[in-house]
Amino acid sequence: MIKINGLHKWFGSNHVLNDVNLEIRDGETLVIIGRSGVGKSVLLKLIAGILDPDNGQILVDGTDIVTLGASGLDAFRLRLGMLFQGAALFDSLNVRGNVGFSLYEHTRLSEPEIRKKVEEKLALVGLRNIQELMPAELSGGMKKRVGLARAICNDPKVILYDEPTTGLDPINSDVINNLILRMQKKLGVTSIVVTHDMTSAYKVANRIAMLHEGRIIGTGTVDDIRNTSDILIRQFITGTADPET
Amino acid sequence: MQGLKQYLSVRRSLAHIGSYWIDLSIQIGGISFLLVDTLRCLFRTKLRWTATVDQMFKIGFTSLPLVFLTALFTGIVLALQSAYQLKLFGAQQFTSDLVALSMCRELGPVLTAMVVAGRVGASIAAEIGTMKVTEQIDALRALATDPVRYLVVPRFIAAFFMLFVLTIYADIVGMLGGWAIAVFKLDINSHQYIKRAFTVLMFKDVFTGLIKAFAFGAIISIVGCYHGLKSYGGAEGVGKATTTAVVSALILIIAMDALFTAIFYFF
Ligand SMILES: Nc1ncnc2c1ncn2[C@@H]1O[C@H](COP(=O)(O)OP(=O)(O)O)[C@@H](O)[C@H]1O
Ligand SMILES: [Mg+2]
Repeated sequence: MIKINGLHKWFGSNHVLNDVNLEIRDGETLVIIGRSGVGKSVLLKLIAGILDPDNGQILVDGTDIVTLGASGLDAFRLRLGMLFQGAALFDSLNVRGNVGFSLYEHTRLSEPEIRKKVEEKLALVGLRNIQELMPAELSGGMKKRVGLARAICNDPKVILYDEPTTGLDPINSDVINNLILRMQKKLGVTSIVVTHDMTSAYKVANRIAMLHEGRIIGTGTVDDIRNTSDILIRQFITGTADPET
Repeated sequence: MQGLKQYLSVRRSLAHIGSYWIDLSIQIGGISFLLVDTLRCLFRTKLRWTATVDQMFKIGFTSLPLVFLTALFTGIVLALQSAYQLKLFGAQQFTSDLVALSMCRELGPVLTAMVVAGRVGASIAAEIGTMKVTEQIDALRALATDPVRYLVVPRFIAAFFMLFVLTIYADIVGMLGGWAIAVFKLDINSHQYIKRAFTVLMFKDVFTGLIKAFAFGAIISIVGCYHGLKSYGGAEGVGKATTTAVVSALILIIAMDALFTAIFYFF
């Protein structure tokens, strides 16, 4: 279980996260929605220990990862997969080097074993025969899916998805949605999905939380959120702009 | 008029220099932290040999033509300038001594470091800066890999040793340039020139030059990596990081050179 208590993050004078409290239960998929620039990516990076919070706790199975040293944090990250918003593939490595990165770095698997595993993970995201390609040769949507294959390559227990379907066509979006569901059903993975895409959110979520002005302003099941009376959440999920703006 | 007055104001200029120094001291603090971290990783964790050799090739081999031209012309200029002065005393044969000593003690290491800082320092900062702004550095962390171990250490080792090699190369090429001028233009006997150069060059001269080379290699790689890792804000941020990396590396090289020269002079 991941429990976030009183999390604050500043960038200079920009108070991005202002007292975030959130709980992610084992095996559930929590979707975080919120407008651009509200700090969703920052929140994911805090959970992965990539950024340091200015205040607050992030408890993973009872251990506060904020106070963890480098080796403890790395042990936690080996059980974590993260898909970045811009895919963040390593330009200098081909697709196999990218997807198999943690296998090459942290395991003693042989080359054929790694190739086989990479092939498997690429098939899961609907890609074939692209192991030799460099990231520059891929389309935006392919990059995203390779990034996802990399995130799941070490069979993580927790997966953080930063806008997994943004920039994908509807069919491929659905491939990714199904993958998120399958990871949960078959492997019992705990997932946090950041998205703007309400179709995807409704399909994969067990619960949805909305981040607004540095706080979680509401959490609930898909039905709770669909029928919410909260005006801010209603506006977001129906995609209506403020009349004034 | 108002604008001109602003530029001429003494207080403003002093404030400008002052704030530059504050910036530089902050940078030196961060750079020292990165250096300590790099040394810790270097001795405590597994080295990435392939990447290191790769970087050695990138930093060393591809700098050869640039270093060759710089050293050659420096040797030529040194020979011509010193011959011009020495002629007044009828002591042209000392050209050899002057070229050899200036090349090995000072110009070989410093000029090599400067051209390499411009070329390699900039490319290190740009490459790592691009990785930073495209979240690749974050991705490394998320994959339980320390960016210092993965990126900085190989560049550090490569620059450290390659500056040493390039400096030896520059010393030799520079002396050859001086020799060519002396023999073909100044009518100094070739055998005598070479003999003088070898007798005058003490172990200490070459040694102190090469110590400097190691230090400059460390500076170029760490400063490049530091500014790359610190860059923020897309392509513009990477551009800024690249220029700052080159400028700080040049300043630190000159400052370090003065420090080393003073130390070697007094001890
Ligand atoms: N490394 C950083 N340095 C400074 N500001 C940052 C940094 N990362 C994010 N921010 C700022 O934090 C805010 C939230 O960003 P982000 O989490 O990317 O938003 P989103 O919800 O769209 O993912 C933005 O205002 C952004 O400018
Ligand atoms: Mg984002």
